[in-house]
Amino acid sequence: MDGCQSGVPTYEGDLHVVAAAHHIVKALGATKNLSDDLRKILIDLDSHLSMITSNIDSKGGRGLVDVEERLDQAERKIMRWETDPMMIWDSGPKEASDYLEAVDETGKLVDGLRGLSVHENRKQKEILHRAMNILQMAMSRLEEELIHILVRHGQQFEPKHMYSRSIRKDIVYDESFVSVEDEPIKETSSRNYSNDESGECIVDLVHADVIPDIKSIAKVMFTSNYGPEFCEAFISVQKEALEQYFSFLGTENLSIEDVLKMEWTCLSSKMNKWTWSMKIIVRVYLASEKQLCDQVLGGLGSVSSYCFLEISKATILCLLNFGEAVAMGPHRPEKLLRLLDMYETLACLLRDIDTLFSEEAGSFIQLHFHELLERLGESAIAAFEAFRVAISSNGSLYPFAGGGVHPLNKYVMNYIRMFPEYCNTLNLLLKNQHPGVADQVTEPDYGLDASLLTSCPMAYHLRSITSCLESNLHKKSQLYKDEALQHIFLMNNIHYLVQKVKGSELRLFFGDEWIRKHNAMFQQHAMNYERATWSSVVSFLKDDNPGSSSMSKSTFKERCKGFSVAFEEVYKTQTSWSIPDPELREDLRISTSLKVVLAYRTFLGRNLAYTDDKCVKHTVEHVENSLLDLFEGSSRSLRNSRRW
Amino acid sequence: MDTQEQELEDIELFQKHVSDRFTELSSPPEDDALLSVSWLHRLLDVFLCCEAEFEAILIMDRDPSQLSKPPFDRLIPEFIERAVKALDICNAVANGVDSVRHCQKLSEIVISALDQNPLGDGHAKRAKKALLMLLSAMNLDDKEGTHVKATERSWSFGRRGVNKEQIAGHFRSLSWQVAKNWSSAKQIQSMIYNLVAPRGAEASGLPSPIYTMNVIMIFVMWALVAAIPCQERNGLPTHFPVPKQLNWAHSLIGLQEKIADEWKKKEKKGMSGLLDELQKMEKLAQSLIDFTDSFHFPGDAEKVKGAAADVSELKEIFGRMDQGLTPLQMHIREVFHRIVRSRTEFLDVLEKGSAPVL
Repeated sequence: MDGCQSGVPTYEGDLHVVAAAHHIVKALGATKNLSDDLRKILIDLDSHLSMITSNIDSKGGRGLVDVEERLDQAERKIMRWETDPMMIWDSGPKEASDYLEAVDETGKLVDGLRGLSVHENRKQKEILHRAMNILQMAMSRLEEELIHILVRHGQQFEPKHMYSRSIRKDIVYDESFVSVEDEPIKETSSRNYSNDESGECIVDLVHADVIPDIKSIAKVMFTSNYGPEFCEAFISVQKEALEQYFSFLGTENLSIEDVLKMEWTCLSSKMNKWTWSMKIIVRVYLASEKQLCDQVLGGLGSVSSYCFLEISKATILCLLNFGEAVAMGPHRPEKLLRLLDMYETLACLLRDIDTLFSEEAGSFIQLHFHELLERLGESAIAAFEAFRVAISSNGSLYPFAGGGVHPLNKYVMNYIRMFPEYCNTLNLLLKNQHPGVADQVTEPDYGLDASLLTSCPMAYHLRSITSCLESNLHKKSQLYKDEALQHIFLMNNIHYLVQKVKGSELRLFFGDEWIRKHNAMFQQHAMNYERATWSSVVSFLKDDNPGSSSMSKSTFKERCKGFSVAFEEVYKTQTSWSIPDPELREDLRISTSLKVVLAYRTFLGRNLAYTDDKCVKHTVEHVENSLLDLFEGSSRSLRNSRRW
Repeated sequence: MDTQEQELEDIELFQKHVSDRFTELSSPPEDDALLSVSWLHRLLDVFLCCEAEFEAILIMDRDPSQLSKPPFDRLIPEFIERAVKALDICNAVANGVDSVRHCQKLSEIVISALDQNPLGDGHAKRAKKALLMLLSAMNLDDKEGTHVKATERSWSFGRRGVNKEQIAGHFRSLSWQVAKNWSSAKQIQSMIYNLVAPRGAEASGLPSPIYTMNVIMIFVMWALVAAIPCQERNGLPTHFPVPKQLNWAHSLIGLQEKIADEWKKKEKKGMSGLLDELQKMEKLAQSLIDFTDSFHFPGDAEKVKGAAADVSELKEIFGRMDQGLTPLQMHIREVFHRIVRSRTEFLDVLEKGSAPVL
């Protein structure tokens, strides 16, 4: 390829040939469907042809002149922008493509001149030097343009539109088992979004129209080995945008120390926030960012995933750090549901994360995720255990006034009512635990009747929890001196237990057998109550000698008085007792009434002769009505009724 | 041998090991300079070894109730609290390593710009731009509120005639922070707070290794913070209240004083990390900036040669960073996990120890 020393005609002929080849190359280059490889080949060919031209010309010096001319042209196009306050890409597509062409040309000239044989031509060196300077200037400018485009056409999306289901009611439980009102917690508004929602949601982080522009800048910069500058600019703008978005979501950085010291209500809402932010960041933002990187830098090898990693890792690690801090915290029972939320969130994002960070450089993020998932799982189990322990160890010094439903009962039942939602996760986590942990109350044998649900790990644990609760309630009932009140208490509480199970998804896990058995239990307590209270009272009204004539007046008086006193005593005491459930209360009253009123009526009826005596303090009606006052929760004393 | 004697022996051995390990750290071989990446690796290894031995002495085969009685009912919770603070420092330093990586990346540009023959004006300009960003990245005050947003980098307005500092702004991201208003210096300070060497009878019992481990943990965290730029290092304490008469502490104190001296020197000039590679990189960057400032093609032959030497040194540092920074982050993460685990173990011990005897 050395310059031919031939005469003018051949030299001109060669020039023509080369020129023709040049034209062909240009024409081919303009074709649309060229592969990247083919394009590269054509570019190289182009440079070489330019070199041949200049080589052939070297004797006459005209080759270099040609090169210099081309460089001058390119320089003009490039330098004119240095004094222009406008941004090139704002000025229009033609300006932009002209500029890029000029830069491209300069790059080719540089490549070509460099590839020349080592003739040490001073002129060559000068031109090469000039070309490289111009190239540097252009690259610097392109960097500015890139940043301008990214910033100007960057877009932020509204997170609320992404996940629009209602946020779950923030149910807060605190340690002291303060009684929770029986709020009708809607089963449907359970989560802010289903964890089955798979699939990402891609948005345009940068307006779609400018993607080709960015891509073309990337191409030019990378071709001229200015890739690092491109990445530096691109990463810094995109990273900043992500972090702005992150703080826009309201998530803040917290140190581990802060999290460990945080009070529960505050922590609970942050955990909630975290699950929400995590999903949006991973499934929407990062997925979109990855796509942007691929669109702009695809075909440049590992650059795309490198940029993506640099853009996203700080934010992701920040989110993960919060999770770790939470997992480190004390294992309080009230944390359980939120921990399960966080666990489920991570679990369902695993696949997304594995896809986003699939290269080796990003594998440490995958590792972090998996580690955190495990730790959250352990934390959740520990919280679950703590829940059980808290129930068992919830001691009382004094009997619960009124014998109504104990706050512990309310707390526990309202809490476990929400467990079925987390059935799958809990089963997964509890599978490794010993099912049916040894308790004071043995597991009933459900045998062949157990459906799949009632025999899953969560069901076992639920039943063991209620067993703990029942044991505790039994202990608490022992604090009452009055045996009748013990039974009222147990009746109330077991009834409450059953109602909660029946009235929610828990019934599927506890099963019919359990419900039947516990129904029988509270009914038994009702009967025990009746016996304990009324047997002695009604005994005054018993007929010692059935069939014989009525008793003596003095006996009647005695009996009457006995009954009145006993009845009044019961009235005074038991009006302050409480049966919160209206149906239960009614049932018990009816049953009591049947016993007592009937006996009284019979008693009076048999001794009609004495009934106008002053000793009959209360009419049957009065007794009947008085019974209605029982279990109202506030102590009253019986007023004398008028004698008939 | 009875358990008491065995225990004393174990403690003595532990402290001897501590002393040995820190003595080794004090006299690093030629290419393992104090506070270099590889030295930090060794420091972290020392921590892990000491911690393992410490846990063995305190927890293994020991009745938990022993550790719930005074003075352990105060010493152990204090240790656990310090451990939590150390965790936050690990995170801060891990973030910091990322910013060192950023410096590494910038130096890569400098290297490829200047590694040219012949060197042209364009190359020099390219290098200078990267060098300015590099110096800015290293010397940026890691105080809060000084971050320059990329959008404010003058791109959109008043482009021409803009001053170079603005172009070189290094964005310090928000997620680089551990937390708002968090300060690594204050964190170290609070770890040192209440650190009192055991006296009298306690000095020969279990409180002694507890004190030792506390000191080690604080020293390691302190050294990391001194070496790697992280959030708010202003006011980093330079003095450790460790009594000089403690045998095992001599080399540690010696190291600490050496590093503290360096720190005090640097504090006056600006806040780049004491990491050996960073320091060297800074010097080279300064020298190269002077070169690029005064360079005009074809340039003074001597100066060009000098610059080439600088570049080749820079390449070496780049290589060390390239090899060592990611492993360093992983190593820090390992330390992080170990501290978490240790904390859990001690919490368990406390819980078991305080359970009522049935």
